[in-house]
Amino acid sequence: MTELLSTHALTAAYSDFQALFGIDFTIAKGEVVALIGANGAGKSTFLKSVMGLIRVKPDMVRFDGAAVGGSAPHKMVQRGVAIVPEGRRLFTGMSVEDNLRVAIDHASGQGVWSLDRVYALFPILAEKRRTPVQSLSGGQQQMVSIGRALLNQPKLILCDEISLGLAPKVVKEIYEALPAITAAGTAIILVEQDVSLAKKASRRLYCMLEGRVTLTGKSDDISRDAIGAAYFGAGHAVA
Amino acid sequence: MQWLDALIQGILLGGLYAQYALGMALMFGVMRIVNITHGDLVILLALVGISLAGRLHIGPFVVLAMLVPLAAALGYALQRGILNRVVSDDPLPSLIATFGLSIAMQNLMLEVWSADTRSLPGFGIEQASFAVGPLFIGVLPVIVLLVATGLTGGLDALLRFTKFGRALRASAADVEAAAMSGINPKAIYASATAIAVGILGFAAVFQSLRSTVAPSDGPAQLIYAFEAVIIGGMGSIWGAFIGSMVLGISQAIGFRIDPGFGVLAGHLVFLIVLAVRPQGILGRS
Amino acid sequence: MTLADTFPAVQVRRQTTSGRIAMVIGLGLLVALVAMPWWAGAGLIRSIVQLCCYIAIAQMWNLLAGYAGLVSVGQQAFMGVAGYMLFVLAQIFGINPFVAVFLSMLAPLVLAIPTYALLHRLDGPYFAIGTWVVAEVCRLVTSNVGFVNAGAGMSLRVMSDYSAQERAIGITILCAILLLITVGGSYWLLRSRYGLALTAMRDNPVAAASQGVNVARLRFLIFVAAAMGTGLAGGIYSMAQLRISPPSAYDPAWANIAIFIVMIGGIGSIEGVLIGALVYFFADRLFGAYGATYLVVLGVMTLLVALYARGGIWGMVCKVMDAPWFPIRRTLLTAGGK
Repeated sequence: MTELLSTHALTAAYSDFQALFGIDFTIAKGEVVALIGANGAGKSTFLKSVMGLIRVKPDMVRFDGAAVGGSAPHKMVQRGVAIVPEGRRLFTGMSVEDNLRVAIDHASGQGVWSLDRVYALFPILAEKRRTPVQSLSGGQQQMVSIGRALLNQPKLILCDEISLGLAPKVVKEIYEALPAITAAGTAIILVEQDVSLAKKASRRLYCMLEGRVTLTGKSDDISRDAIGAAYFGAGHAVA
Repeated sequence: MQWLDALIQGILLGGLYAQYALGMALMFGVMRIVNITHGDLVILLALVGISLAGRLHIGPFVVLAMLVPLAAALGYALQRGILNRVVSDDPLPSLIATFGLSIAMQNLMLEVWSADTRSLPGFGIEQASFAVGPLFIGVLPVIVLLVATGLTGGLDALLRFTKFGRALRASAADVEAAAMSGINPKAIYASATAIAVGILGFAAVFQSLRSTVAPSDGPAQLIYAFEAVIIGGMGSIWGAFIGSMVLGISQAIGFRIDPGFGVLAGHLVFLIVLAVRPQGILGRS
Repeated sequence: MTLADTFPAVQVRRQTTSGRIAMVIGLGLLVALVAMPWWAGAGLIRSIVQLCCYIAIAQMWNLLAGYAGLVSVGQQAFMGVAGYMLFVLAQIFGINPFVAVFLSMLAPLVLAIPTYALLHRLDGPYFAIGTWVVAEVCRLVTSNVGFVNAGAGMSLRVMSDYSAQERAIGITILCAILLLITVGGSYWLLRSRYGLALTAMRDNPVAAASQGVNVARLRFLIFVAAAMGTGLAGGIYSMAQLRISPPSAYDPAWANIAIFIVMIGGIGSIEGVLIGALVYFFADRLFGAYGATYLVVLGVMTLLVALYARGGIWGMVCKVMDAPWFPIRRTLLTAGGK
């Protein structure tokens, strides 16, 4: 399979605080790869580095054959990367449809996603298209956030903790939409705290701890014990 | 009758103030920057317009056609060159930077144009008027009001219905998320400032037609723009328009009571609005 | 083994060598100031009075903007009302002017409270312009009040009851007191536990509030205190001029001066204010004759400092060496002495 995104010895820091210590990562076209780990492991920082929200050296991130580390976020969108950010980050004061239109206005090019197709994926949004986004429920807001990322026509979507703060039923609904996204040919990096969700939804996974990758492999093949050790660090008892 | 006349004068004055206030509302709404040079830019444009009219012997509407694009370019350069460096959550740098720039501009204008007051020759349009019943209404003030209404409506429509307007509103809501959706914040900001200052091009021509301008007049115009935006309600384009009307009418009525009281009346109305309805007329609590 | 044995013995060091030196020099300068009527000419005394006012006003602005996060371009309102109250008390009611100057601090106090109440909900830049409007309102109202001679202004003729030497002694003592209250007072405040709260508020108001600092109340108190300090400087300045009129009392140029001094010198530090005041003082004397061009340069310098050197001169000095004149930090020393 052709490699879409890869990172090489990716290091990143927030002022004095080093968050990533050399991450090697790859994802192929149309693949779903999960990134799991406890709070503070560096998962969000990793996504931010890919998206250009944190300065990194150009060669540390390669997308579609080009060195893109440190590019501005809007340039990454033009290249074909979109993000569903942590906490959704919708444009409050604007309607659902306006939020989605912003993405259409700045899409990376022609693609399979259209307003109708997003409304087909998340029918409740069609009903609420004129509603201001701040009056939607958490789950509905998450759908808008995903739809907004899709309408950028990305080759790769970065999903940052899309299950956070949502009821299990709602999470299930959202995760049921993921196969439709990969069917369209888009690759997904899924950052998740919920390990079982992550395993089920992905082909491969990486586990991070304190800024380093502690485990990687095919999601089906990795045992719970191995994940436990990698998630919490070897030597920590897992009851 | 006197009061009706004051009311009409006030509405027409409000039309001029609206052209100051729109740009300020746009810049603060999108970038949370108050550009202290806002008033000085009007004066600069007016003085440039007057000099152009003098050199090239052109009428006010030709001057207008030249000034508006010049103003837009000036705004764009100002944003890209200076203001983009100070857009942040901390209000202090942009305030101080534009404050320093304001002092520099006023004194530079003083050097170039001296302290003499000047106005733009209007070839009769300043005096032209038409009768409506027992009242005489000036042609120029009506033009000012119509232009102000058109600019307000146009700007509001731009924000609501266009791709650019959506990008502006998104940047105002969450600039990082906007960048993550593909919007280039620096370019958006520069365009916003270009529009804000471009509108000032209209104000510059109308102000120099209806009265005189001098290099140190900038701060007063800044204060009127600010009062109009606060009275009308922050975050609202039509709010800036309505606030301007209220301010203009207050000043006109105050002037009618006593010529020295005009500006003070406006200030007092502003303070009352702040005390009684701080979010402004159209502002949300 | 008790709990106390497990912790190393520590001391909290508050004073530094540079601070001690600075304090000695400072006291020496204050003595020289008060002695001026005996060794300096009238012209020099006038200049130094002006310098003291610059320092006081700038330090008050520094406290507002650098610690409370309140940017004001209307402090001249407080200078004007205090000046006018002084002239009214001394000239019209016959109170001893050297006493009246302190009583006149009531005027800015009374003005500051409703001003803050009206403006504090406004966002930063809008708050600033709001203070300007208040100053303008004060100026316009004063210009129309016959009791204080409206636009024509007043003269402080009662001062002719004193000889020139007596006036000089009085005003230099007032300046020394002004500096003690404004600069000394700020320093005392910053060293106290309020100082910790203020520094926390400067660095991160939200975090400060979460630690129990009553940010709203502290801001209000700082605003009122700064108003009174600025007012005192205004009163002294008008007294030295022997004349007051609305355009001079409420002169917006004071805001420009305060901003320039604090930004060039270094915001958030007392050292910065002193450096900035000296820079402005000498620049004004050397280049003021160039009129508008000089002001263009001042404006451009303020702009450049805001863009590229936000810490001002003192900020640049601090990057190179750590020798505060007004030490505020508490340093923890262990038994080993480090």
